Amino acid sequence: MGSRFLLRRAGQAFLTILFVLVLNFILFRSLPGSPERILLRNPRISAASLEAQRERWGLNDPLLPISVVIDDRGVRLEDFPASLTDNQLFSYLVATAQLDLGLSFQFRGRDVADVIGERMGPTLLLFGLGEIIAIFVGLGLGARAGWRRGTASDYLGTGLSLVLYSMPYFWLGMILLIIFAAELRWFPTSGMVTPGMDYASPLDYVADVAWHLVLPVATVALGLIGQYSLMMRSSVTEVLAEDYVTTARAKGLKESRILRHHVWPNALLPAVTLIAINLGYIVAGAITVEQVFSWPGLGTLTVDALRTRDYPMMQGLFLVLSISVVAASFLADMVYGFLDPRVRT
Amino acid sequence: MTIDGGTFARRVRSERWRLRARRLRSTLHQFGRERAGVLGVIIIAVFSICALVPDLLVGPFETVTKASGESFEPPSFQHILGTDELGRDILNLVVHGARISMTIGLLATIITVLVGAIIGIVAGFLGGRVDTFLMRITDFFLILPTFVLALVLAPVLREVLGESAQVGGIRITLLVIIVVIGITSWASTARIIRSQTLSVRERAFVDRARVIGASGGHMMRRHILPNVTSLIVANAVLVFAGSVLIETTLAFIGLGDPLAPSWGQILAFAQDSGAPGLGAWWYTAAPGVCIVLVVLSFTLVGNALDAILNPKLAGRR
Repeated sequence: MGSRFLLRRAGQAFLTILFVLVLNFILFRSLPGSPERILLRNPRISAASLEAQRERWGLNDPLLPISVVIDDRGVRLEDFPASLTDNQLFSYLVATAQLDLGLSFQFRGRDVADVIGERMGPTLLLFGLGEIIAIFVGLGLGARAGWRRGTASDYLGTGLSLVLYSMPYFWLGMILLIIFAAELRWFPTSGMVTPGMDYASPLDYVADVAWHLVLPVATVALGLIGQYSLMMRSSVTEVLAEDYVTTARAKGLKESRILRHHVWPNALLPAVTLIAINLGYIVAGAITVEQVFSWPGLGTLTVDALRTRDYPMMQGLFLVLSISVVAASFLADMVYGFLDPRVRT
Repeated sequence: MTIDGGTFARRVRSERWRLRARRLRSTLHQFGRERAGVLGVIIIAVFSICALVPDLLVGPFETVTKASGESFEPPSFQHILGTDELGRDILNLVVHGARISMTIGLLATIITVLVGAIIGIVAGFLGGRVDTFLMRITDFFLILPTFVLALVLAPVLREVLGESAQVGGIRITLLVIIVVIGITSWASTARIIRSQTLSVRERAFVDRARVIGASGGHMMRRHILPNVTSLIVANAVLVFAGSVLIETTLAFIGLGDPLAPSWGQILAFAQDSGAPGLGAWWYTAAPGVCIVLVVLSFTLVGNALDAILNPKLAGRR
C-alpha cells in the first residue's frame, strides 16, 4: 500500500479528531456561565478540589488564543497574545492528551476517564459480538438474495430486511424482552450478571454473562442484519450486471465458482465502506439497546449523564465515541485500500 | 404572421406548463406500476390524516388529569389499544403522537434538504476552491458520528435557549430536535446533489445560458435546480424516514418533550414505567408499529422513486 495514501488518510483522521476536540470545547464552554457554574453547582466537589480544577483548566486565562470583537464596526479579531499557550483551549487540549477528562458529577467527583474505561468492556463485548454475527449472517443472506433475485425467498428475505431496517433498535429490544424475558422467562430482563450471585468457578461466571448476553446481542445483530443484507443485495445485483460476470458465464464456469470468485469479492468492496459509515449510527443503536436491557456499558452511562446533566461525563463520552468512530472509518479505508488497489492514489 | 413579445412569452410559458404536466403524468404513471411504492403512499396518507385531524378521530388529547381509564388496562372495546400507567387511552396518545412525530420529521427534512441542496448545487456549480472548501466541511460531517453530535448538541442548545420558550407556536424542545437532526444529516444530501450538479453543469444548455450572459445565480436557479429537483425529492423521502428514526431515538433517551409526546416519547414513557417487564405489550407495541410503518412506507416510496429515476438499475431487478 502506498505510504502517501496511508499518510493522507491518517492526516484526515487526525484533523477530524482535532475538529471534534475544538467543537467539544466550544460547545460546553458556550453553556451559560460554564464551566464556573458547572463546577460551583457541583455539590460533591470540595473547595480544595475546586481550586485545583480552576488551576488545572486555567480558568483565569482567556478562552481562545485570539479574541473576537463584535461591535458596530463589524466583527474583528483582536488581542493576539504574546504566547499561544496561555489560554483555556490549549490547556484543554493538553489535559485531554493526558487523558484528563475532568471529574464526574454523578459519580461523586470520580475521574471521568476511569468511569468510561470501566464501562468500555461490556459495550465492546456486546457490540463486537453483535457486529460479527451481523456481518456474517447479513452479508451472506444479502448475497444469496441478490444472486437469486426475483425468487420467492428473495422477496421474503428482502421484505423482512426492510422491516428490520425500519425498526428502531431499542423497540426491537423491548419486543424481544417482552416475549422472551417477561412472558416466557427464558432470559433475564436486565443487567450483565445475576445480582448477589456467588460463582463456584470462573466458568459459572462466563455462563451467567452469556445468559444475560443473549437478548441484547440478538437485538443488535438483528437490527444490523436488515441493514447489511439490503446493502449486500444491491451490491451483488450491481456486480451481476458487469461484463466480467457475463464473460465468466460465457466461459462456461460453474455458477458457484462465479459467485465465489467473481461476484463475491467485488460486491464486498462497497460493503466495507458502508459498514464503516454505519458505525456512527450503530453508536446510536448501542446507546438505546443498552438502556432497554440495563446493560452496564457506555450507552447507559450516556443516558445517565444526559439525565443528570453530567456535562464533564458527556464531554468525555462525546470524545471517546467520536474517536472510536473516526478510528473505525480510518481502519475501513485501510482495509479498502488493501482490497482494492485502484483507490491507493 | 407576426408575434409580439407579450404573446410569445405567454406561449412559451403555457408550453412549459404543458410539458411539465405531461412529465408529471408520466412519472405518476410509472410510479403506479411500483406496487410497493403505492402501498407506501397509502400508508403515509392514513398517517397524514391522523396527523391533520387527530381530534376528529379519537377526541381531544388525553392528559394526566383527563385520563379515561384505569392504569395498564389491556386492550378492550373501550380502549382498543389499552391504557398507559396513568390510565390514558393509548389509541388517543398514538393518534395525537402522529402529528408530533410527522411534523418533526417534515420540518427536519425541509432543513436537511434545503441545506444539503444549496451546498451541493453551489459546490458542484462553482467548483474550484469553493467546492473544495464546502466538500471538506461536508466530509467532516460525514465522518463525525452525527448521532453522538446530536446527543451533545440537544442538551447544550436547550440549556442556552431555555426550556419553556416557544418559537412560532412550536415548543423550543421540539425545535431543538428539529434543528439538531437538520445540522447532523445534511451532509449526504449535499454529496448526492453535488455529483448530479457536476453532470448537469456539463450539458449544452448551461453553456448556452453562459454565452448569452446569464449570471451564476440565474443559471443555478433556472438551469441546474430544475434538473436536480427529482433527485432532491427522492432524497427528501429517504431523509424523512431517517429523521423519524433519529427523533424516535432522541426522544427515547430523554431528549423529547413529555408535554408533546411523539411516538418515541411514548416509548420512553413505556420504558420508564417498566411496561415491558410488566407484560404490558400493548403500550410498547402500538407506537412502535406506527414508527415501523411510517419509516417503512417512506423507504418503499423512496426506493420506487429511485427505480424510476435510475431505469438502468430497475431493469436489473
